[in-house]
Amino acid sequence: MIALTIDVTLRQQAFELHVRESSAVEVLGVFGPSGSGKTSLLEAIAGIRTPDAGEVRVGDRVLFSSASRINLPARERHIGYVPQDALLFPNLDVAGNIDYGVRHSRRALPGMPQLRSTLIEILDLGPLLVRRVQKLSGGEKQRVAIARALMTQPAVLLLDEPLAGVDRARRDRILPYVLRIRRDLHVPLVYVTHDEAELNAIADRVLHLEGGRVVGPAAAP
Amino acid sequence: MTTSSPATKIVNWLAAGLAGLALSAPPVAAQPPGLVVSVAASMHAALEEIAVLYRAATGVTVALNTGSSNTLARQIVEGARASVFLSADELQMDMVEQAGRLVAGTRTRLLTNQLAIVAPSDAPATFSLAALLEGRVTRLAMGETASVPAGVYGRRWLEHEGAWSRLQPKMIPFPTVRAVLSAVEAGRVDAGIVYVTDARDSSARLVATLSTKEHAYLNIVQPAAVIVGPAEAEGRQFLRFLQGPAARAVFARRGFGHSER
Amino acid sequence: MSAETWAIAQFTVQMALLATALTLPLAIAAGWVLARHSFPGKALVETVVSLPLVLPPVATGLLLLWLFGRRSPVGQALDALGIEVVFTWKAVVIAMMVVSFPLVARSVRSGIEQVDRRYEDLAATLGATPFRILRTITLPLASRGIVAGAILGFSRALGEFGATIMVAGAIPGRTQTLAVGIYTFVETGREEAAWGLLLLSALLAFGAIYVSNRLVEVRA
Repeated sequence: MIALTIDVTLRQQAFELHVRESSAVEVLGVFGPSGSGKTSLLEAIAGIRTPDAGEVRVGDRVLFSSASRINLPARERHIGYVPQDALLFPNLDVAGNIDYGVRHSRRALPGMPQLRSTLIEILDLGPLLVRRVQKLSGGEKQRVAIARALMTQPAVLLLDEPLAGVDRARRDRILPYVLRIRRDLHVPLVYVTHDEAELNAIADRVLHLEGGRVVGPAAAP
Repeated sequence: MTTSSPATKIVNWLAAGLAGLALSAPPVAAQPPGLVVSVAASMHAALEEIAVLYRAATGVTVALNTGSSNTLARQIVEGARASVFLSADELQMDMVEQAGRLVAGTRTRLLTNQLAIVAPSDAPATFSLAALLEGRVTRLAMGETASVPAGVYGRRWLEHEGAWSRLQPKMIPFPTVRAVLSAVEAGRVDAGIVYVTDARDSSARLVATLSTKEHAYLNIVQPAAVIVGPAEAEGRQFLRFLQGPAARAVFARRGFGHSER
Repeated sequence: MSAETWAIAQFTVQMALLATALTLPLAIAAGWVLARHSFPGKALVETVVSLPLVLPPVATGLLLLWLFGRRSPVGQALDALGIEVVFTWKAVVIAMMVVSFPLVARSVRSGIEQVDRRYEDLAATLGATPFRILRTITLPLASRGIVAGAILGFSRALGEFGATIMVAGAIPGRTQTLAVGIYTFVETGREEAAWGLLLLSALLAFGAIYVSNRLVEVRA
């Protein structure tokens, strides 16, 4: 569990994103129709996009502050990011993708080999390790992408509609994986989705976005 | 890794072939040391013969840098390490001298030359200035009259004869003497003006020579000089050889004259 | 094919390979900077990079001749160090590098621009430095463009004439490439030898284009 403070103003083409949220939960759900700014919010937290104003804090660390002119580059933020289409590196195989964040890492992350085998077990990646990423199904790609992000032991894991490209039947099989991450690894999640059922299954608290703004009382589902 | 596609195999073979080609030669660094002599194209063939003689006599290898006199002069002015310069006319040598690149006292009027009129092999046997002015000759090839030595002298001759303004409309300029000869050989022009020494290596018909006696005002001199640089002594030695009997014989056989002075 | 023709071909290929190998890192750097960065004066940099493409090779040769000659600070510095450039094989390589650089850089730039930036962003979230991202993600994904650029640059170097003859001269055994050789042989009346060189040049060019086309066709 970790305190996440987001106060973000981001001017986009269609609207301006204004989000203010401060919570200490295990899973923060972000809910809203497509185009409501959910992905932009995640990108702002991860450091891929720079907000026009505001603040992003994870625990005690200030990742971004327009007032104090702080803008940590993505590589220093320790935020795991799993984008909507997994975005596995096409030039590496599955193992190469998973290990990308820890290879050549200057500080030796403690317990890394153990973490690796745990993740491979939790996410059932054993048979996939030497496969080329082009040959994986949507669900398999998502699982690899999740492992890849978690290998760096991030403070927070951002998941952008991880089950969006997956059919209903498989969804029910993959959701348990996500829950297992929460249960076994205790990594705080920001979980973006437009599916209410997923929200109910996983989120402690929900941020409801529409047109770039938080609407309705943010409440526990 | 998946197995190579046929295309990858081809690429690999070609790359290997190129690498083999490149590696089968001695390393570039082992370049033959020797005297670099910048010589205008018109004297190149003669110098090739002379270089062989020089090697036999002294063991020194002469590397010949050929080109247009203008380019050669420019290279020398910018400091290119040529030891001796043979120019196709005095103008380019002047440029080098003014830049301070000549070893004082070594400039010599090594060779003289004559202008010649050439024509395609099926042209009439004799040609004169009058023939040039006739309607029969509609296209006359010459080197660029501002930069190619044979062109410069060609124009001087025509101006001297008062024929330049009438001939200029028929004149087609070419960047090199070789290009003039090619045009004549192929019959694309009716006549061309070159040095008599150039005409020898061509299948074009030599139809008239402008003798030095009658056209003394032309005074076509092809000078040589030693260039300032680390190989000055070797350059002087080679220049002496160029003025010696063995070299003279080669030049004479190829139609060059030598200056009395 | 005579020994002389073979020697000229070997020399040319050696020089062109060396020139391409030296140009590649510079062109990759330039291509990456132009593809991924914006900064004041970028248009100027783009123009300078493309200059050898637009200038007639002879003009490029003249510039190089001046640059490495005794009247320029660079030439004088080299002279002081005892390094000869003009009229040596080094001038051949330099001339080849200068004329092929814009071609390689443009191809690299195009290849990199086609790489989805989101891959690079994602690699950053995994803790990779910009240099590591370039090395492990950007360049591998742009490899098609880079290799195509290298082949293009190599072909250009093989055929380079105008700049070479200016700054390297036309010295048989020292700076005579295939293209320069053809010119010299024609100029001095050795037409048959010139045709031999021409044939070889054509074969090499054909090979390079063939390889380049096959690379474009190959699907990953």
